[in-house]
Amino acid sequence: MRNSKTLLRTAASVVVGAACLLLGAGVALADEGSSAGPAALTMFPVSEKANPANANMKPVIFNHAIHEGKVEDCTTCHHTGDPVACTTCHTVEGKAEGNYITLERAMHATNIKKRPEDEVTPQSCVSCHEARYKENRQCAGCHAIVKPQRNAQWCATCHNADVTPAEMAKGRADKYTLDVRGELAQRTLKKSTPVELLSPLDGPLTVYIDELSDKYEGNRFNHRRHVASLMDRIKDSKLAAAFHNNPETLCATCHHRSPLSKTPPKCGSCHSKEINPAAPERPTLKAAYHLQCMGCHDGMNVARPLKTSCVTCHKVKTAE
Amino acid sequence: MNRRKFLTILGSAGVVSALGTAKVAKASATHTFPYYDNSYGVLHDTSRCIGCRSCEEACNKINNLPKPDRPFDDLSVMDKKRRTSAYQWTVVNKYEVGGKEVFRKTQCFHCNDPACASACFAKCFSKQPDGSVAYDGSQCVGCRYCMIACPFYVPGFEYDEAFDPLVQKCTFCETTRLQKGLLPACVEACPVDALTFGRRGDLIKLARKRIADNPGKYVDYIYGEHDAGGTAWMVLAPAPNAEAAIPTANPIDAGHTFEKIGLDTHLGNRPMGEYTYGALGTVPMIIAFWPLLFGGAYAMTKRREAMHKAETESVIKTAKEDVATAMDAAVRTIEQNQGQQAADEARKAMVEALKAREASKAEEHGAHGEGK
Amino acid sequence: MENHSIVIPTKDKMLNLGEFSLKRPGNMITAVILVVGFVLTVIRFTQGIGSITNLDDNAPWGMWIGFDLLCGVCLAAGGYFTTVACYVMGMKHFHSAVRPAITTAFLGYAFVVFALLYDLGHPLRLPYMFFFPGTTSVLFEVGLCVATYLTVLFIEFSVAPMEWLSQKFPFLIKWRKIVVRCTIILTIFGVCLSTLHQSSLGSLYLIAPGKLHPLWYSPFLPMFFFVSSMAAGASMVIFEGMWAHKGVHHYMDATHLREADEVVFSFSKAAAFILISYFMLKFIDMLVQANLPYLCTGYGAWWLVEMLGFVLLPALLYAKGSRDRNVSLCRLASCNAVLGIVLNRFNVSMIAFNYNIPAAERYVPSIWEVCISIFVVTLIVTVYRFIVYHMPVLYEHPNFKDAH
Repeated sequence: MRNSKTLLRTAASVVVGAACLLLGAGVALADEGSSAGPAALTMFPVSEKANPANANMKPVIFNHAIHEGKVEDCTTCHHTGDPVACTTCHTVEGKAEGNYITLERAMHATNIKKRPEDEVTPQSCVSCHEARYKENRQCAGCHAIVKPQRNAQWCATCHNADVTPAEMAKGRADKYTLDVRGELAQRTLKKSTPVELLSPLDGPLTVYIDELSDKYEGNRFNHRRHVASLMDRIKDSKLAAAFHNNPETLCATCHHRSPLSKTPPKCGSCHSKEINPAAPERPTLKAAYHLQCMGCHDGMNVARPLKTSCVTCHKVKTAE
Repeated sequence: MNRRKFLTILGSAGVVSALGTAKVAKASATHTFPYYDNSYGVLHDTSRCIGCRSCEEACNKINNLPKPDRPFDDLSVMDKKRRTSAYQWTVVNKYEVGGKEVFRKTQCFHCNDPACASACFAKCFSKQPDGSVAYDGSQCVGCRYCMIACPFYVPGFEYDEAFDPLVQKCTFCETTRLQKGLLPACVEACPVDALTFGRRGDLIKLARKRIADNPGKYVDYIYGEHDAGGTAWMVLAPAPNAEAAIPTANPIDAGHTFEKIGLDTHLGNRPMGEYTYGALGTVPMIIAFWPLLFGGAYAMTKRREAMHKAETESVIKTAKEDVATAMDAAVRTIEQNQGQQAADEARKAMVEALKAREASKAEEHGAHGEGK
Repeated sequence: MENHSIVIPTKDKMLNLGEFSLKRPGNMITAVILVVGFVLTVIRFTQGIGSITNLDDNAPWGMWIGFDLLCGVCLAAGGYFTTVACYVMGMKHFHSAVRPAITTAFLGYAFVVFALLYDLGHPLRLPYMFFFPGTTSVLFEVGLCVATYLTVLFIEFSVAPMEWLSQKFPFLIKWRKIVVRCTIILTIFGVCLSTLHQSSLGSLYLIAPGKLHPLWYSPFLPMFFFVSSMAAGASMVIFEGMWAHKGVHHYMDATHLREADEVVFSFSKAAAFILISYFMLKFIDMLVQANLPYLCTGYGAWWLVEMLGFVLLPALLYAKGSRDRNVSLCRLASCNAVLGIVLNRFNVSMIAFNYNIPAAERYVPSIWEVCISIFVVTLIVTVYRFIVYHMPVLYEHPNFKDAH
C-alpha cells in the first residue's frame, strides 16, 4: 500500500506538471499552488460490463483542485486513506472491495451511518454539499426553507461532460489515463459560460405586505436590501456559484414552487387567507409570510427581531 | 378561495358528511377500524410553534373565560410549567430539546376512545362523530373521576364554585365554531400554522409527508396516532439535533424527545378505558358464581349439622338404653338381695336422679345459647 | 338474671340518652368535634369545595376519597366477613359478633355515602347515575353495589331497631320474623355485592396506569383490594370489639362476653392466613411485573415499610396471638393491621398517586379536610353509641331470646 501510495503521488505530480505545461495557465491551480492532485478531470461511470444499465448519465467534470482546498485532508473523500480513484472500488454495479456500494450511492448517498470515533465516516458529493449549506450561516437561511429540487437540472449541474459515445464507452471500461480525462474535462470547461445573475436592482425597492392587516398594520418589506445582503454574503462561494446556475435561482427561496421568473407570482396566488380544504398542508397566507421570514432569520441566526415581538415588524393598528 | 366558499365546503359538506359517515360506521359496528379517519383533528407541529400565546388568547375570548392575572403578551408565564384548568382550556409551555427552545400547546386531545367518557358514571362525556369529545355538565355529579382517568391531565374543576361546580375542558369549539363551519379559535389565531386542522386520516398522511420531506427536521413519530388508543389532536416534535438528520428510526430516541416536551410516551396503544374492562368483565362471573359457591357452602354446613344432630341423637338414645338396662340390672340385684320394697324405692330414687340430671343439663345447655 | 345490669328500654321509657349528658371527656370532645364539623359543613356547602380543601386539578381525589370512601368501605368489611363465617360456614360460636359487625358495617357504609356528599360537586345529583348509567365506568359499578349493599345491610341491621321499637309498635314483630327468615339469602347477596365493590374500589385506579406508581399499580389491584378487605373485616371486628369493651362494656351480656375471646382468636387466625396470602400475592406481583429495581428507590423503601411493617408484621402478630391465646397481642395486631389497610389505601389514592408530579405541586390534605374526616368518624361513633344504648346489639333482647 505504502509503495503504491508514493508511486501514485509521484505519478500524479508528474501528470500535474505535464498538465501545467500543457495548459499553461493552470486556471484551477491558482488557488492551491501546493496541490499534489490533478486539476479538473472527467469521471466516467466505470463498469465491468460492456453495456451496463443505469449508466447513461453524462460523466461528471470534477475539479479536484478546488475541492482539495475546501476539505480537511485527502481522507475526507479518499476515506480508505488510499488516494485511488473512486471507481476503483465503487463501480456502477458495485463490487466486493467497495462493500457493494454502487457508484451512484457513493456519490449521492445522504443517509450515511456515522462510524465510530477512530474511523473515517465516508461522505458522498451530495452529503458533503448538504453539510456545507446547512453549516454555513450565509447559506443556512435560504436552505432552512428550500432544499435543492432533485430534478433534471439539478443532475445536469454536475453531469455535464461533453463526450462522444465512443469516448463514453472507453471511459466506462476505464481505459483512459488521468491526463486524458483531464483533457476531456478542459474541452467541456472551455465551452461553458458563467451565469449572469439578476441584480437586486431588478426587483422592487420595497414591498408593502398588508393583505391581512387586522390587529396590526402591514409590514413595509425592504426587498432590495434583503436581496443585496443575501447576494453579498455568497459572492465568494464557489459552491453557490456552481449550483445557483439560473439567473433567478436566489429568488426561488421566497418565490418558491413557481417557474423561475423575473416577475414571480405573489404569495397570495397560492397561499389562501383561509385553509384550503383541497390542500390542507399548504400554510395559510399569514403562516406563509411568518414561516418564510422566521425560517430564514432562524436559519441565519438573526437574533432580532424576536419571533413573538409582533410590533418590531408591525405597527399596532389604531382604532379608526 | 374566499372565506365564504371555504365555510360552505367545510360547513355543509364537511361536518355533515362526517356526521353521516360516522353514523354509518357505527351502524356497521366496525368502530375500531378505520378508527375515526373521517372525523376532524388538529396536527400540532411543535417545530413551528413560536410560543406567542395567541391561541390562549383566542381560546379565552371565544369561550368567555375569566381574564387572567397577567396579560397574554406576557411571555414570562411560560417560565413555569402550567396545566389546563377550568379557566384555561389551553396553555402553551416552554421546553428545551437539544439546547433549543420548543413550545408545545396543550389542550384536550379529544381521544378516539376517551378515558373520561369511559370513567364517567353519569355519561357526561361523549365522542362526537366530528371528532370532538363533548361534555354535558347538566348531568355531571361532580365526582371528578374523569380527571383521575385522563392520561393527559386535561379536565379542570371549578373548585371555587359553590352551587354549580363543573368540569371544564377544551370543547374543540364544537358548538361555538365547528358547527358553523369555522375553524377552532386557536387554530385560526395561530400566526405560523403550527396547528393544522383537517380530517384525522388526512392529518396523519400530512404528518408523514412532512417528516419524509424534511429529513432530520422531525422525530419520526406522530404522537397521538396510536397513543392512548389514538387522539384527534396529534403532535410532531422537532429532532433534537442535526446529528439525527440521518433517520435512525430508533423509537427510544423518539420517546426521549416527546418526553422532553412533556408528553407521556408510556401510555400504550390501547384506549385507557380498556384497562378496566377486564375487571368489569368479572362482574357477571361473580354474580353467577358466588351465590353458587356460598349457597353450596351453606348446604354443606346444613348437612354437616344435620348429620351431627342425628349422630348425637343416636348416641343419646344408646346411652339412655344403656342407662335403662343398667338400672334394671341394679334394681333386680337389689330385689334379689333386699326384697321387693327396697327395689321399688331404689328405682324411684334413680329415676328422680336421672330427671334432675337431665334438667340441669338442659339448663346449662340453654345458658350456652347453643339451642338457637 | 344475667342481663340484670343492662338498661333495656321498655314501653314506657324508650329513650336512654343519659349516657350522652354525662360530663365525661369523651362527650366533651365529641361535642367540640361536632360543632367544628357543623361549621365546616356550612362553609363547604356555601363556599365550594375549594374553600376548605387543598384539592386541585392534578389531585381531584384527596382525603375524603382516600380515607372516607376507600378506608370506610374497606373497614366496614367486617359485616360480610362475620355473617359469612357465622351463617354460611356455620361457625355458630361467632353469633354474638354478628350484630355488632352488621351495625358497624351499616354505619360505615351509611357514612361513606354521607361523606361522599361533601366531596361531590353536585351531591344532590348522586342518583343521576341510575338515570344516565355510565356502564363502562368502574365507579358506576361501585355506586350500584354500594347502594344495593347499603340496602341489604339496612335490612340485615333492621332487626335490632325493630326489636327495640316493637315495644311500642307490635306489628314490627311480624316484619322482624320475615327479615330473620331471609338471613341466609341476604348474607349470600351481601357477600356477592361486597366482593364486587370491594374489588372495584381497586379497579377504579386501573384506568390510570401512568399516574399510579408501578409498585402499587397492577392489573390485579381489584384482587388486592378484595383480599385486603377480608383482612380488614376480621381486623375491624377485633379492633371495634376492643373499643367496645372499653366504652360500652356494661351493655354486653354474658354470652357476648364469654364468646368475645373465642371470636378474637378465631378471627386472628383467619386474619393471619389472609394477610400472609395477601403478602405473597403482592410480593409475587411485584416480581412478575419486574418491579424489583424500584425497590431501591424512595418509593420502594416506602413499599417495603408497608409490606413488612403493616402486612407481614400484623400477620405474624396475629399468628402468635391466636396460638398463645393472648388477647392483647391479637388486639395489638388488629391495630397494626387496620393502620396497614389505611396506609395501603392512602398510598394508592394519594401518596403513590401522581408520583411523577413535582413534589411542590403534590397534594397534601388541608387541616379542614382532616377535620371533616374526624367529624365523620365521630358521627359514626356517636350513632353507634346511640344504637348500643337503645337496641339489642351487644346483648340479646329477653323477648326474642329463642327466636334464632
